[in-house]
Amino acid sequence: MSTAVAPPPAATPESPPATEPAPFKPKRKRPSTGLILACTFLFVLVFLAVFADYLGFIRYPDEKVLVDGKAGRYKLGPGWEAWFGTDGLSHDVFASCIYGARVTLQIGLFATAFGIIVGGFLGVLAGYFRKTTDRVVSIITDCLLAMPALLLAMILVSRLDDVRNDVTWLDWFSRKWQLVFTLGLLAVAPLARIVRAQTMSLREREFVLAARSLGAKPGRVILREIMPNLIPAILTVAFTGLSIIIAAEGALAFLGLGVEIGTPTWGKLINDNRNQIDVAWWATFFPCLMLFLTVVSFNVIGDRLSRRFDIRQAGV
Amino acid sequence: MSTRIQASTRDLEGPLLELTDVSTHFRTPRGLVRAVDGVSFTLERGKALGIVGESGSGKTILSRSIMGLLPPRGTVRGGSIKFEGREIGNLDRKAMRGVWGKEMAMIFQDPMTSLNPVMKIGKQIAEPLQIHLGMNKQLAWATAERLLQDVRIPEAKRRLDQYPHEMSGGMRQRVMIAIALACGPTALFADEPTTALDVTVQAQILDLLGEQRRDRNMSLILVTHDLGVVAGHTDEIAVMYGGKLVEKASTKGLFANMKMPYTEALLQSIPKLDDPSHTRLNAIAGRPPDLVNPPKGCRFAPRCPYASDKCINEEPPLVPTAEDPNHLYACWYPVGSTEYHEAKRRLAEPTDGLATATAAL
Amino acid sequence: MAGTGKAHLRDSPDVLLRIEDLVVEFPVGRTGLKVNAVSGISLDVLRGETLGLVGESGCGKSTTGRAIMQLPRPTSGSVRFEGKELTEMSGDTMREARTRMQMIFQDPISSLNPRRKVRQIVMEPLTIWKRGTSAERDAKVDEILERVGIDPVRASESQPHQFSGGQCQRISIARSLVLEPSLIICDEPVSALDVSVQAQVLNLLEDLKAQYGLTLIFIAHDLAVVKNISDRVAVMYLGKICEVAPSDLLYQEPAHHYTKVLLDSIPVPDPEVAAQRTAIEGEPPSPVLPPPGCRFNTRCPAADDICRTVEPQLVDLGHGHYVACHHPLVTPVSLSGQSSTAAVITEPAT
Repeated sequence: MSTAVAPPPAATPESPPATEPAPFKPKRKRPSTGLILACTFLFVLVFLAVFADYLGFIRYPDEKVLVDGKAGRYKLGPGWEAWFGTDGLSHDVFASCIYGARVTLQIGLFATAFGIIVGGFLGVLAGYFRKTTDRVVSIITDCLLAMPALLLAMILVSRLDDVRNDVTWLDWFSRKWQLVFTLGLLAVAPLARIVRAQTMSLREREFVLAARSLGAKPGRVILREIMPNLIPAILTVAFTGLSIIIAAEGALAFLGLGVEIGTPTWGKLINDNRNQIDVAWWATFFPCLMLFLTVVSFNVIGDRLSRRFDIRQAGV
Repeated sequence: MSTRIQASTRDLEGPLLELTDVSTHFRTPRGLVRAVDGVSFTLERGKALGIVGESGSGKTILSRSIMGLLPPRGTVRGGSIKFEGREIGNLDRKAMRGVWGKEMAMIFQDPMTSLNPVMKIGKQIAEPLQIHLGMNKQLAWATAERLLQDVRIPEAKRRLDQYPHEMSGGMRQRVMIAIALACGPTALFADEPTTALDVTVQAQILDLLGEQRRDRNMSLILVTHDLGVVAGHTDEIAVMYGGKLVEKASTKGLFANMKMPYTEALLQSIPKLDDPSHTRLNAIAGRPPDLVNPPKGCRFAPRCPYASDKCINEEPPLVPTAEDPNHLYACWYPVGSTEYHEAKRRLAEPTDGLATATAAL
Repeated sequence: MAGTGKAHLRDSPDVLLRIEDLVVEFPVGRTGLKVNAVSGISLDVLRGETLGLVGESGCGKSTTGRAIMQLPRPTSGSVRFEGKELTEMSGDTMREARTRMQMIFQDPISSLNPRRKVRQIVMEPLTIWKRGTSAERDAKVDEILERVGIDPVRASESQPHQFSGGQCQRISIARSLVLEPSLIICDEPVSALDVSVQAQVLNLLEDLKAQYGLTLIFIAHDLAVVKNISDRVAVMYLGKICEVAPSDLLYQEPAHHYTKVLLDSIPVPDPEVAAQRTAIEGEPPSPVLPPPGCRFNTRCPAADDICRTVEPQLVDLGHGHYVACHHPLVTPVSLSGQSSTAAVITEPAT
């Protein structure tokens, strides 16, 4: 039954009720203003972060902004010279924010990916095979959840450095990757739980039973039947998780457990400048603002995705 | 006090429910969905009306339009709905709240999801009594117990302390009926009340509804896709197709003298116990019309084995039969007319027409 | 055991499926209690026959269907299909054996993966078993989609939610047919559909059965539908078989009180008949603690002491009609050897 696009004869003059209002704006298709803003912000941020080296208006993060040929602590407030002002080392706060985004976003993305891969894998196995597998996975996730997240992160980050120093082949395992590992580990438990619950309910759906009755092996059932249906849930959690991880990275940096000296991240910028907040509010404020906007943007997108998929799930 | 004043303006003489050219359209990205399109009928006090049709015929939307239960966004309502002489078609939700429960109540298909899973049965029945009728807690709980007895729930007192999940589907539907009856409505809307239930329980629930209707002199609007369900439990039947009322008659009159080929086809598609097994069923070929672009003539014409050019091009009006002015139908060549017989003979000649139509589907 | 017995099993070379003493139990959480979903039933299906399984929800009819597929494996009992014992098969041989029997489920939309294209879904069995070349697979899928009335072109671009319930059920049927099974277990395949669509699907099943030489097990709660499509009907109640009979005979002479109740509960589209009917009281008891004796005794109008203590066995009423009841509505006519106990039982136990 095709739905002809030609103007329906019934919709012509004779029938419209008196109350027929102006043409209808489809509700679901139109993204909300918040979503547009969130996407635009993230897009611009990522673009600037990626191409910062080639964009003339972004200084290098270690370039000192000279005022009358001299550098100085917190010399410039926000203005034309340096958009977000300068910090205690005469560095441009705007440039630091952009370069900080590089590190922060990378940590966020990689940690989330780590969480999804490990957590998703554990969750699917536990949900599909249940019994012993489920019990083992439950013990792992319970352990992870039982420890205070920030404390665990602090211990891990401070210990991992020693490990890196002792083991030669772990040279690549810099602070950045240590943070990815730590924060990713924290994301494993919630993701595993969500994926496990989803898998369990999907497993009972009749199309999974149908696939099994067709003689499909467990691997195929998981890959072809269950995985595609998990993606919406994972995606939704991932976006929310991403924002949490970014915020957590900020918190760790604030506690002095950030990346190596010289590499800016938002958390570190905030930490370095917070003592001078009454002298130079901008050096703390702008990194905070960036962090805040990023977290909100990811949340908005995650929220929107979850609502969108909820509607589809209801329709299915 | 306000209920008193309302009561005095009630029209206790005329019909309970009077629908004139009621239409409900939904704005969707695809276009305007004409879910209910110009339906008119009246329902007398204390009578049971069955609204029958396939899914997508507009039967549920019609009952919800009368109840004022549709989302205000994207819904375009037209026509007039008079309840006890009072226009309710244009009332907003706030004004309808005074009507719900006390004058109209509704029970739904799924008794599982219509009850609050974390609230005791007793509280779910008693709370509306306390709010709407201003009863104190003790009286409300006593009334709740009596209501459960009315709907034939054994050990009513113990059941008040149970949660919905401790009850079977049939029991839950009884609780739903008790809640609907709590404030003594004049009209009860039942939307597929037994579809989710087993046959034996279905029979019990339908009997219960009929009994409560007679005891309380209440009107019952039974919305269902099953002609078998309405046959034994209604006084009148309205058949809907593609958002239109296509036939309306007394239950006896309808089954004795069907006019609309759609009604006939609907009846014939039900497997009969009296037929030997493997009797070929007369399925209705095709699917219900797209309500964004409904067919121009009779909406059933594309699926009607007896349709002619006139049926495809001109919409038949709703007219009374010669024998019974209350038996209305909308068909150019109703069952029993000469054209109908001729078309039927033509179909019968090469092969069994309906069967080939089905096979071709 | 109650409502048991194997009097109705047939010794025929044409027996395609034979279930004996099938028991399926599920634990209730960690309470130590168990749901007695199926409590020792025996059934057989001849090649080319349609067996109807009727009963209310919770009677174990769907569980029986799934236990035949060994999804999950039954607690005990034997399932012989095409001469092979399924309950003893290992994982891989079982997967292979499952291709010979297929299932169609109640919810047409839930039984199709919402995120895959319809054509892929129908193709899936062939892909799993790597049957034929890809051209042969394409041809096969096209042929079957057309046969069930789905446009193959539309199927390759659309997902299940773009089809109506009736069409989704046709797609399910197509998927179950591509491996050319000999047995199809239809679990309430038309319960979720409108009457008009239900008739289309029932007719389609009848046509396909004839065309592909299928054997069907048709599970439903609607006796009228079951009667229409089945050759032989087994009525189940709380995990037991009450009555087995050729479908026309079952309707003409129901011998079990429960069958009578089921028949009387069907809403008849005729106001004259409908007005005379009365409904039975009560609902089925919980399968966790089924009543002793005949499991129907709590609702049966004819129940007495013997019904509450002794489980009735299936007895022969002649013409392939068997009933498990102490006080059947039809007196057993052929009282040969073993079934003579039935005559004793039918006398009122005062």
